[in-house]
Amino acid sequence: MPIDRRTLFRLAAGTGAASLLAACAGPGGDSSKTAGTGGDLSFAHWRAEDKDVFAQIIKDSGLAVRQDISPSADYQSTALQKLRGGSVGDAFTAFRGAQFLDIAKAGVWADLTGKPLVGKYEPALIAAGAQDGKQLGLPYQLVFNTPLANRDLVTETPKDWDGFLALLESLKGKGVTPIAWPGGDAANAGQLLNVMVVNNAPTDDALGKIESGEAKVTDDWFLTVLKQYQQLAPYFQKGATGTSSDAALALFAQGKAGLLATGSFQVSGVRKLGATFPIDLLAPITTTADKAKYEGVFNATFILGVNAKSAKQDAALAWLDRLSDPAVAGVYANGTSQHVTVKGVEYTNADLKALAPWLTKKTALAPRFQFTNLDVRGAVENAAVQVVGGTSPEEAAEAAQKVVDQKK
Amino acid sequence: MSRRTPRALYLFALPALALYGGFFLLPAVQGLQYATTDWDGFSPAFHHVGAANLTDVVSDDDLFRNALTNNLKFLLVVVLGQTALALLLAVLLAARSRGSTWLRAVFFLPTVLSSVSVAFIWKFVYDPNFGLANAVLGAVGLDRFQSAYLGDEDTAILWVAVAQIWFHAGQMMVIYIAGLHQIPEELYDAAKTDGAGRWQQFRHVTWPMVAPATALVVAYTTLQSFKAFDLILGLAGNPPRSSLDVLATRIYATFANSQLGYAAAESIVFMVAIAVVTFLQNRAARMVHK
Repeated sequence: MPIDRRTLFRLAAGTGAASLLAACAGPGGDSSKTAGTGGDLSFAHWRAEDKDVFAQIIKDSGLAVRQDISPSADYQSTALQKLRGGSVGDAFTAFRGAQFLDIAKAGVWADLTGKPLVGKYEPALIAAGAQDGKQLGLPYQLVFNTPLANRDLVTETPKDWDGFLALLESLKGKGVTPIAWPGGDAANAGQLLNVMVVNNAPTDDALGKIESGEAKVTDDWFLTVLKQYQQLAPYFQKGATGTSSDAALALFAQGKAGLLATGSFQVSGVRKLGATFPIDLLAPITTTADKAKYEGVFNATFILGVNAKSAKQDAALAWLDRLSDPAVAGVYANGTSQHVTVKGVEYTNADLKALAPWLTKKTALAPRFQFTNLDVRGAVENAAVQVVGGTSPEEAAEAAQKVVDQKK
Repeated sequence: MSRRTPRALYLFALPALALYGGFFLLPAVQGLQYATTDWDGFSPAFHHVGAANLTDVVSDDDLFRNALTNNLKFLLVVVLGQTALALLLAVLLAARSRGSTWLRAVFFLPTVLSSVSVAFIWKFVYDPNFGLANAVLGAVGLDRFQSAYLGDEDTAILWVAVAQIWFHAGQMMVIYIAGLHQIPEELYDAAKTDGAGRWQQFRHVTWPMVAPATALVVAYTTLQSFKAFDLILGLAGNPPRSSLDVLATRIYATFANSQLGYAAAESIVFMVAIAVVTFLQNRAARMVHK
């Protein structure tokens, strides 16, 4: 039947009115369950570098899963709004900390408590996915937010701060950059803060206490952290505060830097750039050897979940169950050079095997994710960047504390 | 003899008015409503906080004040630099020759690129270790001028302004060339007869005659400067550091921090800032061209 102009006008008016009503959703509005379009299950995540491995797992599983990938910073900013609609992210991932909590507050996590797949994970490593006794998500990756070391250049493992500075001096003497640090990339610049804080902090939750007001950026222990950043400044690459993550990665991969101050999540990136040297982890021990509580930092992240707003929750759960299978998790781990939290996984990747001893070392859960307010986290982390740029530790701490007081 | 406009003709404006009301006015009014709440953007519950958000933004928010300061620095450099460069290029390339046409196309080229592409190009230029800028300075023995560029707390926003000028100067050049072509040749002939040199011709003929084009360029550049969002995120990452934070990125960061009510209040102050700057610019433009 041909559509006349009047019908077309009515259709346009109807569409406009529907859009208008949709635009009017205001405070208190809640998105209803939305059936996804097409037959695919949407899996939302931020790991573009893992796309091929996931594609292989999807192909092998025979499930119809579509990957919806956003850059990590955008994912942090916008994922919740997209997930609430239910059309994207039937199964999804989340960062530990602020994002996990916000998604929980919005009621987007479907409760996984008691589901058989939960038993496939190391219980101690999935605590970051639990809240109020409910297992809302399953942290999938076990990463070490501890600097990477080129073992062709870094042959020793200092046990205290003086030893670490001596190591950096000797690397400088060899004509290489002691530490490649992406100071120009806020998200990765803050990784170093994890290892700088864990042994200096009076308590394991000290960064969280800064946000709650129980501790201050101007406290002696944090000033010590900033003063140590000041000591590290001559050992970073030229223009460290303006260096992007890619540039720091390239410096390290090309063998021009002894350490890369990010974490094990960049091992595959280093290898993709052609590096063949042995890679280890090496955290600066910021105290004397006898006072050091931790050898490094880890994080259980990439929290898998089923979207409670999705109409395809059963299929999403089946996809998560597939990822939780030890053999499949092994494919993911070995294909991406990252450890996982699933029990009984066999690591065949050479880098994972080399880093396996870190699974049993004394490591702390990454403290920077104790911040739930991103402005507070940004202010505290930026204080360290400013110190490297030449600001005095006291001045940087004062400015950061002022922001914390305003934003907490 | 007069013809009255049939009343039915007013009905033709209704669809446009409905769209404007639904998609501009209503969201704007809703923005005001959000600004008086502590709504996080997703919870069913929220509280009315009156004008607290607005007073906090104006009086008790160092991050917002820092972003405003950065934005004004950025605006000043871009408006002055881009307007001057666009006018210079237009004057040099106004002639209708094949060479000028080709060069105009070259200078216009960056405008057709996406902001993300421009950000990638300038990220490469500014990288302290692998970047073009430091490499060139090193090659000609000017190592002492090498910099961290975007990592330099004091000058970072100015380096972004340079990228913005490169991005849009060609576009503004086209507006100026159109303006220059409107100037009657007789005015230059008369000025030459009166013994005016090139500078005097520019000062007393070209500059006053391109006033409408200048007003357009300045107004457009001002809005562009306030809306420089994607270029900054592309160059500085998300969220940008405080030295590169401008009002648009600050509002986005607040929104991403699950503070939609507060972000709406920031947006209102942002709108007022644009209005004030535009008003002052118009006054200044009238004084300059008197």
